[in-house]
Amino acid sequence: MKGYLRYFLNKLGWFAITFVFAFLLNFILPRLMPGDPVAAIVARFAQGMSNSTGVQAIYEQYVELFGTNKPMWEQFVIYLQNVAKGDFGFSFSQYPRTVADVLKASLWWTIALQFPAIIVGWLIGNTLGALAAYLKGGFDKVLMPLSIFVSNFPPFGMAVIFMVVFGVNLKWFPTSGGYGFDLIPSFSWQFIQSVIIHYQMPFWSIVIIAIGGQAIGMRSMAIYELNADYVKYSRFMGIKDSKIVGYVFRNAMLPQITGLALSIGTMVGGALVAEIVFSYPGLGTTLLRAVLGQDYPLISASTLIITVMVLFANFIIEILYGFIDPRIKAVQAD
Amino acid sequence: MANTMLEVKELSTKYITRFREDVYAVDRVSLAVKEGRSLGIAGESGCGKSTLALSLMGYYFPPLHYTSGEIIINGKNISGMKPDDVRKSILGREIAYIPQAAMNALNPTRKIIHFIEDVIMEHEVYATKKDIYERAKKLFETLGLPAEVLQKYPVELSGGMKQRTVIAISVLLLPKVLIADEPSSALDVTSQKMVIKMLRHLMEAGMISSMIFITHELPLLYNVVDDIMVMYAGQIVETGASREMVFDPIHPYSKGLMGSIIVPEQGLRDVKLTAIPGVPPNLKKPPAGCRFAERCRFVRPECLVTNVSLRQAGDGRAYRCILPEAELREAYAREEHKK
Ligand SMILES: Nc1ncnc2c1ncn2[C@@H]1O[C@H](COP(=O)(O)OP(=O)(O)OP(=O)(O)O)[C@@H](O)[C@H]1O
Ligand SMILES: [Mg+2]
Repeated sequence: MKGYLRYFLNKLGWFAITFVFAFLLNFILPRLMPGDPVAAIVARFAQGMSNSTGVQAIYEQYVELFGTNKPMWEQFVIYLQNVAKGDFGFSFSQYPRTVADVLKASLWWTIALQFPAIIVGWLIGNTLGALAAYLKGGFDKVLMPLSIFVSNFPPFGMAVIFMVVFGVNLKWFPTSGGYGFDLIPSFSWQFIQSVIIHYQMPFWSIVIIAIGGQAIGMRSMAIYELNADYVKYSRFMGIKDSKIVGYVFRNAMLPQITGLALSIGTMVGGALVAEIVFSYPGLGTTLLRAVLGQDYPLISASTLIITVMVLFANFIIEILYGFIDPRIKAVQAD
Repeated sequence: MANTMLEVKELSTKYITRFREDVYAVDRVSLAVKEGRSLGIAGESGCGKSTLALSLMGYYFPPLHYTSGEIIINGKNISGMKPDDVRKSILGREIAYIPQAAMNALNPTRKIIHFIEDVIMEHEVYATKKDIYERAKKLFETLGLPAEVLQKYPVELSGGMKQRTVIAISVLLLPKVLIADEPSSALDVTSQKMVIKMLRHLMEAGMISSMIFITHELPLLYNVVDDIMVMYAGQIVETGASREMVFDPIHPYSKGLMGSIIVPEQGLRDVKLTAIPGVPPNLKKPPAGCRFAERCRFVRPECLVTNVSLRQAGDGRAYRCILPEAELREAYAREEHKK
């Protein structure tokens, strides 16, 4: 256990260092983009104003408000202090909304879309992969090429195909948004129905790709395990096949859990493309708009969320995995 | 007269590969092992020793398939039994098996005690976990294994410990016949000795009634088993008592194989290690005549076409060659003389 504690602290240290670097980069990189975001805001607010000194005054007011006139390091210190208090400042592009406000609204859409999609894709994919390994024959011969094809599809391609086939041609589902444009979010049946209908295409375009990748991974893991020596020995000790299949799938599943945890960690960053294609009101779309509008605070905060989630998921995997899988624990103890 | 624990009559099995080719790895093998006796099976790599071991269990799954023959274990003919009945009433109880790669024979993510529970519960419906633990603990202690091993995962055990754990699990249900497939290769000398000692102890303590010991390391066999059977290309080529087999082989293949034996106590250290030139035949298309003909230095034209069967040679010995025993012995004497 002492060895494990050292291992734990060591990992924790590395994650802390990684976090610090990621935090720095999240701050600096967006601010290195050429262009002046404040000018864009002022242009929006000062529309129709002809008085150039007036425009200049507004401009300076905003520069003061956002602190973009201060040197970069000073901005960083202020940013750091604010972030520590949970304050990410104003969004440039959606001023006067705050970054926290914008993110809160979009993060839930993303989680509600991606989390179920990843879980469903993982479950279906692993079941299909395990069945392919166990049943072999025709099932395997059809499923595998299909999975390989699907999993190599770029996410935007899948989204576009769904859009064209089911949205534009068949007109089964609306092509954009998280709910009807004419509706105001509420708990009415009409609104919920609209949300469900809008949900289908982004959801399945993510699920299908996830199924393919998971099925391939699970199939090869399961085939490997089915041929392992312990299967033969267990059989000759009189253990029934259904029980042995249980051993095999548990062992094949363990490495797949890493995959699941990783995709949950990277979900915000991972399949943003589907959101963008369907103009889904999640983090992907928000981030795209933030980048287009040079919205530093929003970009930094979005990427910070993504970074934290990825790091956190990885950390949890590293720590928990050893407990779940004794094969890993044995290696860690060395 | 001691009871026959295992009797095998003309057993043939084959592999069917992914490409639908048949590999005739065990061809009409007959053997018998009496109570309290042990049989060694020797032969080059690929001659079908492991396949024979698997075939003797009477429980087949792809790619291995039963073709013909009978297996009688402790008086029960299991060849006509339903696979599930074999599984429940024969495997582990009447006959047990220690696989060649015993290092990998245990499910890496299952604690030893949990696997033991699985095994016993498969055969004894009313066993409770507490009883199983007590039994396992007692068995492990009897065999000189620490009881803590029970609470460990296989990955936490050393190679030698894993090997001995597998042996202990194999004899949990006190099988009449134990088949050990190269139980000591891939271990260091100390662990090898421990494994052999353990197997001997199992016999002496009556935990098993008979044993089949497979190896390609002949010196090991000489010290451990009562009888030896030499296999070549899926067939038995010679069988007899251990001592005669080692010092007085009849078949040219056994002669070549035994020529490489080193028995330290007998001062035979400097016997030259003579490899037999050539390679064994392809078991997908075994030769029509003698399977060893291609590599035999006494080969005659008829060897290539005649199907040779085992000949009795007194003292329960048998060998598979068309040449009479006397003629072969004369040839060996001449060779000896030339040196
Ligand atoms: N799963 C399999 N499918 C097809 N052929 C096989 C399979 N396993 C073994 N064989 C073939 O059957 C023959 C006998 O193999 P087997 O493993 O029984 O030999 P062995 O005497 O135990 O060798 P070793 O000393 O290397 O363990 C070999 O020709 C081998 O190529
Ligand atoms: Mg073998």
